[in-house]
Amino acid sequence: MSYSIFPFPRLALFVAGTLLSSSALAAPQGTQGVQEFDPLAFPGQVVDDVVVPVPSEVFSVLDKLGEPNWRHEIRELNVPNTSDRTQLALLFGHVVAEGFVAVQAEDKEAVKEAGKDVISISTALGLTKAVRPHAQAILDAADKNDWKAIRKEFDQTQKTVKDTMEEMKDIDLSQCVSLGGWLRGTASVTSVVGKNFSADRAELLNQPMLVEHFLNAIGKMPKNTQEHDLLRSIRKGLSSVLEKMESAVDGFSKGAVSDISKTCETLLTEILVKK
Amino acid sequence: MKMTRHTFLSALTCLSLALTPVPALATVDESHDYAMEAATSFVEQGFIVREDYWNGEVKSGQKLMISHQLFKGNEYAFWLGSVNDNVELDLKVYDEKGHAIQIDSKSGNHALSIRVNPQKTGTYKIVFSLKSKKEKSVMWALAYGYR
Repeated sequence: MSYSIFPFPRLALFVAGTLLSSSALAAPQGTQGVQEFDPLAFPGQVVDDVVVPVPSEVFSVLDKLGEPNWRHEIRELNVPNTSDRTQLALLFGHVVAEGFVAVQAEDKEAVKEAGKDVISISTALGLTKAVRPHAQAILDAADKNDWKAIRKEFDQTQKTVKDTMEEMKDIDLSQCVSLGGWLRGTASVTSVVGKNFSADRAELLNQPMLVEHFLNAIGKMPKNTQEHDLLRSIRKGLSSVLEKMESAVDGFSKGAVSDISKTCETLLTEILVKK
Repeated sequence: MKMTRHTFLSALTCLSLALTPVPALATVDESHDYAMEAATSFVEQGFIVREDYWNGEVKSGQKLMISHQLFKGNEYAFWLGSVNDNVELDLKVYDEKGHAIQIDSKSGNHALSIRVNPQKTGTYKIVFSLKSKKEKSVMWALAYGYR
């Protein structure tokens, strides 16, 4: 049986494992009405492209579980002046995630700060033309307190930057944007959960697939990129985070949440240090 | 100016190309447009649409699988769109135990929508296919939103 694979740049498709009969997807006898699925016996193609959730996807759940004080989670960032593109890409994701925290807090000034940081980092990355319309839209929407529009623009900004990087064959940088955003988002989540611990809140940290995705992405980067100080630290930090996630079979303890928090905070501090 | 056989044939070729149906010019982003059209009523109900999405081209009938992180407490909607005509769309979301968890499904001419209410935070498998009676390959885009 032959497979036709189509070379789209944003997609890496590969044939999954051994081909089995399509009955792998059918409900087994005796379980009528219950559809069961075994991903290891999947007879089709696996799309090896991961869409990383934006921080507000997790924040919205935390809002439903209580009323976190998002203003306490906002950080004043001192974005370093650097020409290191790996660091800039990590910083970009960090700043966009900071924007999502500011939106959750409905803090107009903090949103504007994030918008300005977005412009300055995109300028350093040479992506001003692509980003400026979004950044301007963020600033305009902040004046109108249009939080929905701001959230959409932050998401769109990140996508535009990642798409532009991918068009320029800078896929590694694009991964760094997602990584920086994920670290900042997770730091906020652990901070909120740590202040008001519950099993339901802590369960939001069950994200091993995303951590594995980032570790694989770093592992596929060229050797000299992998040897970048920040990526070496991040790789080590993510491995310890993954260990915590995988050992949380019966749920996350307060200690595990605190450990993940410390790891993310340490990495974010490193990202913000001038190289 | 006298029209030669060559210029006549060239003109005929141009005309026939201009009249050729869309598929040759279709793009995967048009599939995303259909997905977004399906998302409109969900947005009115408070769903926030993610800007990032998956897309590509696949052999008709071929099953595709995507791993995706979902969070308990959110409600999700997935929109599968295709620019190709008369395509049979199918999409299911499975939890880690292999149980299908979608709670609602709506199908149109170029798009399919489903809703999901995950009972646990973790990795879910999205399995989908697009079957065309006419085309060997089909273009697709899959987007999602949450509330």
